[in-house]
Amino acid sequence: MKKFSVVLLVALVAVAAAFAGGSNESAASEVKIGFIGPLTGDYANYGVRCYQAVQLAVNEANAAGGINGKQITLIAEDSEGASDKALAGFEKLVNNDKVCAIVGAVLTGETLAVAEKAQEEGVLLISPSASADGVTDIGDFIFRTTPNDGLQGKVAGYYFAQVLGVKNLGVLYAKNDYSQGLYEGMKEAFEAAGGKIALAETCMVGDKDFKTQLTKLRNANVDAVYIPNYTVEMAQQLEQAAQLGMSMQFLSGDGFTDAQIYSLAGDYTNGVIYTGPTPGKENAAFVSNFKKAFDVDPGTFSTNAYDAANIVIAAIAKAGTDRTAIRNAVAATKDYEGVLGTINFESNGDLVATTGVYLVVNQAPVFQGNYTVVDGVLSEVK
Amino acid sequence: MSSIAEFFQHLVNGLTLGGIYALIALGYTMVYGILKFINFAHGDILMVGAYLGLFIFNFLRGNSAMGAWWFAAFIIAMLASMCICALLGMTIEKLAYKPLRKATRLAPLLSAIGVSFMLSNGAAWAWGTQSRKLDYPFDNTPINILGISIAPHQILILAVATIMMVILTLFVSKSRMGKAMRATSLDQSTAKLMGINSDQIISLTFGIGSALAACGGMLIALDIKVYATMGTMVGLKAFVAAVVGGIGNIGGAMLGGLMLGLLETFGIALLGIPTSYKDAIAFAVLIIVLLVKPEGIMGKVEREKV
Repeated sequence: MKKFSVVLLVALVAVAAAFAGGSNESAASEVKIGFIGPLTGDYANYGVRCYQAVQLAVNEANAAGGINGKQITLIAEDSEGASDKALAGFEKLVNNDKVCAIVGAVLTGETLAVAEKAQEEGVLLISPSASADGVTDIGDFIFRTTPNDGLQGKVAGYYFAQVLGVKNLGVLYAKNDYSQGLYEGMKEAFEAAGGKIALAETCMVGDKDFKTQLTKLRNANVDAVYIPNYTVEMAQQLEQAAQLGMSMQFLSGDGFTDAQIYSLAGDYTNGVIYTGPTPGKENAAFVSNFKKAFDVDPGTFSTNAYDAANIVIAAIAKAGTDRTAIRNAVAATKDYEGVLGTINFESNGDLVATTGVYLVVNQAPVFQGNYTVVDGVLSEVK
Repeated sequence: MSSIAEFFQHLVNGLTLGGIYALIALGYTMVYGILKFINFAHGDILMVGAYLGLFIFNFLRGNSAMGAWWFAAFIIAMLASMCICALLGMTIEKLAYKPLRKATRLAPLLSAIGVSFMLSNGAAWAWGTQSRKLDYPFDNTPINILGISIAPHQILILAVATIMMVILTLFVSKSRMGKAMRATSLDQSTAKLMGINSDQIISLTFGIGSALAACGGMLIALDIKVYATMGTMVGLKAFVAAVVGGIGNIGGAMLGGLMLGLLETFGIALLGIPTSYKDAIAFAVLIIVLLVKPEGIMGKVEREKV
């Protein structure tokens, strides 16, 4: 058995060496781009759709003649959603395959792990989907084409204080990553804009009775109440607030986007103002190309991955295959017209994104405008 | 708004929350009082009752506008749901509990937990896991008295719980059927010798208990919506309420329910217990009561039957 594994190991090394040698020879005639993401396992759904979108971008570029006559080779490494696997894949891509840039990783955790190494090695890493705060803060080689989770909270905070003129805000948020994250992002911005959180109450997901917390909020003299929670809890909260005779403004986050809120809370939703995704751009061509190529609909982050790959390809076309030059070209991206919309990057590598604001009128959301916050200033984006 | 108004608002909130627990606790305690058996599927029969009531109510009212017909439709739906659930309860008893009547006490308990899972998963399979809204059959605009708000449906829940407590007490203590129930409860074989069909009595007990559950299910659905696991947590709390009040004692179930509702409300509002521990309050109370007075607040110590 032991002998066998030694033989196997030798064989593997030989094969790997052969491949490495082979790829070096053809290096002149091809450009290599890497992809890291979960292609198997529980999170494969996210990873595979992103990988397919990158494949689509690469195939389209190759069909159009490649980059300055060179064909693009896409090399994918399966992270299975685990940081250690993602790191191993990264090492292989950077040191063996010698890719000039990487699209990935897909999940926040694995992206954080890989980003540290990418920064050390000086390789561009552009994630289509890692949305948590702090990912792009790791260094200047890290970019993403998905909005930072913090943006929604930021827009909410400034919008409540500056546009709605809320001075004393009450909050009722559920104790989970989503609601708490939105609340904390909003709080920072709201206080920076001069507002005051008069009372912040908490609840648990699955609670049905919120009257205790709502009664406290009712008597706390607040101008508005922010409830960045999930549909079922928000429905209960709005209804019970009405039963307690609370008539102040209610505010929420993108949890309100789910249409189920209207069937559960009915007229209690009227007048609620919430932040949610920017209305999507028409991308029928992308959807049909994707379907034709892979026989499935694109996933949540497919458009983000497609744009990320195209931005990398455009950067290589402009700057050549030097890793640092590619990074600088991506950072210099200006008004790139992708399937997501117009893409620009902030100085830290975050996508310059917008958050929509909606007002519920007659049980239907009415779009109020797109907003973004750059360096602490709220501005409407037309 | 003064803090006195806030205090009384919390009091009203606590009482109406307690009303929900009390309404369900009545069903638990009745079955236990007669059969000395805790029907853990009670909360799930309540859920089935709420679903049936929702479907029948929506079917009956059709596209009509809110009015007297809505309220009539609600009552008809409730009665129909109670009848169907009574049959369901009796069927469950025949299939899942009767064959185990001579087995150890633990066996029917486990069987009840199995039934509970079957009902809640079956509902999730048949009707989905999304919450559904049961519309108020009347104008539910809250009434405001001196800064204290109360919604009409909350008054309805408290009123129905009180009326049921009275009717149940009278039924068990005064009617012939109730007497037969108590006799069966005391000694099944002797009751049989006295000409009481104890199988029938047990079946009837389950029928009434399940009808109570269906009625409670529809009323609390107004408050917490209809979904497949709606009976689980609220059923567990109601069970605690029944034990705290003294299981088997109908007045005790009412007392336990109201007490629990008030404790949960004031524990958070005044004592500053973190919201995440809200559910723990009920079980902490259960532990304390079991340590201090194991038979419950209004329970009577029973001598071991020989």
